[in-house]
Amino acid sequence: MTAVAEIPRAPAHGRAGRLAALLLLLVAAAVTGIALGSSSMPLDRLLPALVGQGAETDRLIVWGLRAPRVLLSALAGMALALAGLLLQRATRNPLAAPAVLGISDGAALGAVGFLFLFSDAANALTVGIYWQPVAASCGAAVFAVLVAVLARGAGGGPVGLVLHGFALGALAKAGVTLLMIAGPVYRASQASIWLAGSVHEARWSDVAVLTSLMALVLPMLLVLTARMDQLLLDDHSAEASGLPVRRTQALLMALAVVLTASAVSFVGAIGFVGLVAPHAARLLIGARALPAIAASALAGAAMVVLADIAVRLAFAPLEVPTGAATALIGAPYFLFILFRTGRAHA
Amino acid sequence: MHDRSRSNEEALKLSAAAAGYDERLVFSDLDLSIARGRVTALCGPNGCGKSTVLKAMRAMLPLREGGVFLDGKPLAGWAPKALAREIAMLSQSPSAPDEMTVADLVNLGRYAHRRGLARKGTADRQAVAAALAATDLAGLAHRPIGTLSGGQMQRVWIAMVIAQAAPVILLDEPTNHLDIAHALDTLSLVRRLSHEEGKTVVVVLHDLNLAARFADDIVFLKEGRVAAAGPVARIFHAQSIAEVFGIHCRVLSDEETGRPFCIPLAARGR
Repeated sequence: MTAVAEIPRAPAHGRAGRLAALLLLLVAAAVTGIALGSSSMPLDRLLPALVGQGAETDRLIVWGLRAPRVLLSALAGMALALAGLLLQRATRNPLAAPAVLGISDGAALGAVGFLFLFSDAANALTVGIYWQPVAASCGAAVFAVLVAVLARGAGGGPVGLVLHGFALGALAKAGVTLLMIAGPVYRASQASIWLAGSVHEARWSDVAVLTSLMALVLPMLLVLTARMDQLLLDDHSAEASGLPVRRTQALLMALAVVLTASAVSFVGAIGFVGLVAPHAARLLIGARALPAIAASALAGAAMVVLADIAVRLAFAPLEVPTGAATALIGAPYFLFILFRTGRAHA
Repeated sequence: MHDRSRSNEEALKLSAAAAGYDERLVFSDLDLSIARGRVTALCGPNGCGKSTVLKAMRAMLPLREGGVFLDGKPLAGWAPKALAREIAMLSQSPSAPDEMTVADLVNLGRYAHRRGLARKGTADRQAVAAALAATDLAGLAHRPIGTLSGGQMQRVWIAMVIAQAAPVILLDEPTNHLDIAHALDTLSLVRRLSHEEGKTVVVVLHDLNLAARFADDIVFLKEGRVAAAGPVARIFHAQSIAEVFGIHCRVLSDEETGRPFCIPLAARGR
């Protein structure tokens, strides 16, 4: 076996092309998201405004209102999609996603609890806003640990995990509702954020904090790609190949918690992005971790930006939560894979 | 590569070992040594602890008492990658996503040889190519594994184990779902690995005649203890088989290979 044969090169799969197409879709969606709104803006006004010229009001609409909204949508979509990818890898469960496992609602409970505890009578926070993702992370972590412990104790396979997730998610959501009602009245106006997820209150400060969080987490993900690839194997084979399986799973779950909490603390529990985006990525470019990370992030970002455009156009001037649109696509897809997974494990 | 002067030395040893799951103790006070550079078959009735012994030898199952020793060094507290570079193992029912290609899966066997962020290097590529060639899979390198037959799939798993380039290889019933032709193929490959490259192989086998045909040594396990262990010619006889499996059988010797084989007659007491 000393013969040094080379493996014939893999046929070109056009992975790069498909990634580029996803990127293009995201950019197109973002530009559309900035151009469209209660007053849509033709390109000859949009482009000057984007580079800081043109009419004052156009600049204000583009840079003050719509750009942060679109950027926040994209960033939140990325974070949720990556959280979903990590959860699906860590649990080897195609049904896993932050919303499905109750982690999104846990994060929302953490964030709302934080607002409840640290707001003064004048509606102002008594501590820095950057503590909000920390509080959301705590909420998300508690629910992630609960769902992991309960599901492992009870067994029941992939669907069992989802059932525990849904039950815990319902519990967290009840907590959020109670805090909304018990809290100051002005919080009720934020109900659409904390109960369904919405980007309509986007601010540049939100974009900045979420960007920094992503800048922290993404390099960690890149370091973990080899481990994520090993996790495609079953537990036993992965461990035999030299992977510390339990430690890796815990690490991926922890990152998923932080990503979920980061997104949820600014846009609320937008559902099904974390479920659908990694699936779309896998269909497009396969299971390898590095391209899967890129494709999931792009798909998730595009999905939320497009969902936001859809709710703005279809229901204007009402503010319908973005999460309603993602759920409209995501929930049927979820039922489809639930059906398939249930059959496979019957 | 095969250092004859070191063969018949002890490669792997369980010493006064006890292990089990939850409440159940599968074996205790077990002493078992595996000779270097030989194929050792682990045989015994269902539930005798074959797989558990294999897991314990790979330090995948914490021992409650005693120790595992590789080349005389205790295996406790090794880093996962360092351990994987010394001992490769194939479980009974390994799995990976259907859409993964053969080459990608075999490449996962190289994980223990990669440091930190390092990408696939020349050594990895060569190891994967050699493993594919040894298992006659080069032509299927870019096929998704979901399209392969059971026999091909088993060769892919063995290729992954070969790519791991560990001197010790543990195989848990590698012929389990294979027809006789593929079983022979697989075990011939295992034997070549040992005899041409000096690998120490421990293989759990259900089929006694395959064990007698391909192994150098046999370990008969019964109820968590070693009933008999040693070279095939010395161990494989009607009396030991009767004792371990509770059957009557006749053991004959094949003229051409000189290997014993057994013809089962009846379960004892029937």
